Amino acid sequence: MIQYMIAGLVLGGIYAIASSGLVVTYESSGILNFAFGSMAYFIARLYYFLETEHHFGIILSAVLSLFVAAPVLGIALYYALFQHLRLSSSLVKVVATLGLSVALPALATLIFGTASILTAPGLAPQPVRVFNVGGVPVTLDQIIVYICVILTVVIGGLVLRFSEVGLRVRAMVDSPAMTDLSGTNPRRVSVGVWAVSSFFAGLAGVLGAPIIGLDTQHFTLLIAAAFAAVVAARLRSLPIAVLTSLAMGVATSLIQYWLPSSSPWTSRCITAVPFAFIAVFLIYSLIRRRDLSDSTKVGSALDAAIQPHGQGVLASPEAAMLDSSMGFLARYGGAIGFTVLFLVLPLLISGVWSSLLVQAYAFGIIFLAFTLVIGEGGMIWLCQISFAGIGALWTGQLATNYHWPVLLAVVAGGLIVLPIGLLVGMITIRLGGLYVALITLTFALLVENLYFTMGRFTNGGLGVNILRPTFAGSDRAFTYVCLVVFGIIALFVVNLRRSTTGMALDAVRSTEQGARTLGISVVQMKVVIAGLAALVAGIGGGMLAVAQTSAQPVNWSTFLGVVWLAVLVSVGIRSAIAALIAGVLFAMLPQLAVTYLPSSLSELPTILFGLGAIGVAKFPQGTVEQNGENFRRFLLRQARRRQGNAELLSVGTEGAAS
Amino acid sequence: MTPPAPHSDFALECQGITKQFGGLIAVNDVSLHVPKGDIVGLVGPNGAGKSTLFACISGLLRHEHGTVFLNGNDVTKVSPQKRARKGMARTFQQPQLFSGLTVREHVVLAHRLRFESRRLWTDMIGPSSLRKPPTSETEAVNRIIELLEIQDLAGLPVSSLPLGSTRLVEVARALACAPEILLLDEPLSGLDVNESEQLARALQRVVKESDHGLSMLFVEHDVATVLSLSDTIYVLDFGQLIASGTPEEIRSSDVVRAAYLGDEIVSTKEGDE
Repeated sequence: MIQYMIAGLVLGGIYAIASSGLVVTYESSGILNFAFGSMAYFIARLYYFLETEHHFGIILSAVLSLFVAAPVLGIALYYALFQHLRLSSSLVKVVATLGLSVALPALATLIFGTASILTAPGLAPQPVRVFNVGGVPVTLDQIIVYICVILTVVIGGLVLRFSEVGLRVRAMVDSPAMTDLSGTNPRRVSVGVWAVSSFFAGLAGVLGAPIIGLDTQHFTLLIAAAFAAVVAARLRSLPIAVLTSLAMGVATSLIQYWLPSSSPWTSRCITAVPFAFIAVFLIYSLIRRRDLSDSTKVGSALDAAIQPHGQGVLASPEAAMLDSSMGFLARYGGAIGFTVLFLVLPLLISGVWSSLLVQAYAFGIIFLAFTLVIGEGGMIWLCQISFAGIGALWTGQLATNYHWPVLLAVVAGGLIVLPIGLLVGMITIRLGGLYVALITLTFALLVENLYFTMGRFTNGGLGVNILRPTFAGSDRAFTYVCLVVFGIIALFVVNLRRSTTGMALDAVRSTEQGARTLGISVVQMKVVIAGLAALVAGIGGGMLAVAQTSAQPVNWSTFLGVVWLAVLVSVGIRSAIAALIAGVLFAMLPQLAVTYLPSSLSELPTILFGLGAIGVAKFPQGTVEQNGENFRRFLLRQARRRQGNAELLSVGTEGAAS
Repeated sequence: MTPPAPHSDFALECQGITKQFGGLIAVNDVSLHVPKGDIVGLVGPNGAGKSTLFACISGLLRHEHGTVFLNGNDVTKVSPQKRARKGMARTFQQPQLFSGLTVREHVVLAHRLRFESRRLWTDMIGPSSLRKPPTSETEAVNRIIELLEIQDLAGLPVSSLPLGSTRLVEVARALACAPEILLLDEPLSGLDVNESEQLARALQRVVKESDHGLSMLFVEHDVATVLSLSDTIYVLDFGQLIASGTPEEIRSSDVVRAAYLGDEIVSTKEGDE
């Protein structure tokens, strides 16, 4: 058992390094880096590339990857992305870093190749030496982890708490502007923090690879555990993050000790550890009535005041007049054009493209769930894919195993998800945006590993086949069924936004205090929108399963849900038509890449999806609304020019008359 | 000891409100009342506990001790949204506006929440958003917008407005709830002289012309405005009520003069003379 505890402390130590990196950057910049796991994977893959594939030797490989590449990556990402995020909304911060988490592993595959790696070496020379400490065998790899944990966590914590450098870092979170005025260059501090954080990510990756495996999927568990520790630390407390990490490592190891390794419940329980810790923390917070609502406030009034304010030219009285005078076509032309295109598209294509298009439209339905919960409700839920998955898997069960009519099974799948959505909504309702994102992400991992792995769904890896309804058996016919379902839900979403409910939702998104003192029940609004979104996700999931004629649990991985969000947000999170465009892009781009690009560039669409989400840092409303806005700017400039010409003309005429 | 019974002529009554943050007592056993149809001012230096008291009264903060009565009904344990529905409206020191809505939409939403609250849910599934709004709503909304003289801003998104205008929008939104008690947290701060006078005039008029006996409790740093607008004034210092009375009584109070108002009250008095 002691041996298991030692192994657990090693795992916990790696979690601790990861959670420390997350807390340090959050403490200094207000950004919770959802790409931390991907950065860890990227550096670990580079270390493997240098050490194992190109035989650079351990020391040179470690120096190059941890002390050169990792800080350079952190600094490059700071300049490219993080510096623009400081005073952005929680949603933009989460989505931009999630976009990075999508792009980085794909970039790693593009650079380092697609070879699958079965075992990855650590920092100890092979074969790894084993020491006997008090009768317990301890490997050199484990000793190195202990040393690294002590060096990084303890010394790092002391520096942050007691040194002048630490003081400057902590001052940054309160106000970069005030830090600047007091003689410290905030940019230099930020660059340093991101370099150190990236080093932490690399270290966690290189140390963790021999234990958890060098695979993006395995790194999600590492990051889920680190996130759970960060939640328990209320995003800021380094000691609590470290202690929780160590406890989770030991708990994971003890599960392996107590449960037989052959049992499926062993891996299920291990994946449930982070969620169990979060659940304990939530219950404790509930009992102690601790405030988890306003965790994302960064920067002082001065910082807010010196930020560019308002919507510039588009918020002027002229713009308002232009808006009211814009014709029907100018106002709705884009949406009408896309609708016509999506109506005729099924008639224009065939073969593999036709089978992708039917899925694309089903994706559009699922994406409307994101539009509802994130775009309208303002809640950063990262578990929509779990809801869609539950809808899909139950559609398969009801339609195939219980012989229900398939479309009825789709609706029933949605209704099964509805109460789960309401429940998650009620649990997370009082929490700040980042907590909601972290908890729903961990929930999704739990569902993926605990529920989707049940025998009735996996069916020995085959999944459950689903027959389409007889009247819409072909791809083309079922594409139109999906389009009709999409149209009905999209009309509902558009109507909701224009209605009193939509205005009240805007109120809740903007300021809960303002909304509550106006008579709006924030809890009711959020729970209702969460339930509706879950229903839509469940129906969309069912439609996608029917479109694919199979309900396969592997199609609903949490990481894929993050890619979905990245695609949708980069197109537009608040537009119904954007949901369909995103569905088409997500379903068609990979096949376009496979068909028209060399196989080495097959990861390009994923990188593009990730980059699109990173672009949200600059254009938070997505490309659809951004282009609409550009069009309005163009019209406004034209109107001003015409007005200017008319004035000049009148002055000229008056001059001539006098 | 049983607390005294609430007074039926008071729109708002607070009895012994105490609010602590850890070891700090932000508001200490404060009692005040706002008679129906009156304007009551609340003054005090920064950190005196005025905004905390407002948060307790509106229900956004839970206080440890004390009772809040709205029109004689105990609302101490009632949520902020229910207090709003019972006729309490407020503005904030940092305006809390809805960034995606225009000025007019703020007023429309507040009006609907007060008079057609079922539309909050029925609109979601019905086509009401396509129909023209009822004349009564349009007239009521126009009246408030005209009263605050913000017709030029009505179609603009609030995110484009300067601070002074956002205060006017917040007051318009609060008035659209047709409240019986209006709580204003530093409504004049950030306004220029013209805007201040415009808002002060509008507030006096709205209380005077109100057909349902609107009362007002407001926090303000501009002492001259408080003295000229209020029927009664309460003075807070370090979380405690140190004086209360008519503007004349406050003007001549040595306690207030010594503890807070200092030279400013003297100059105001001399100016009046």
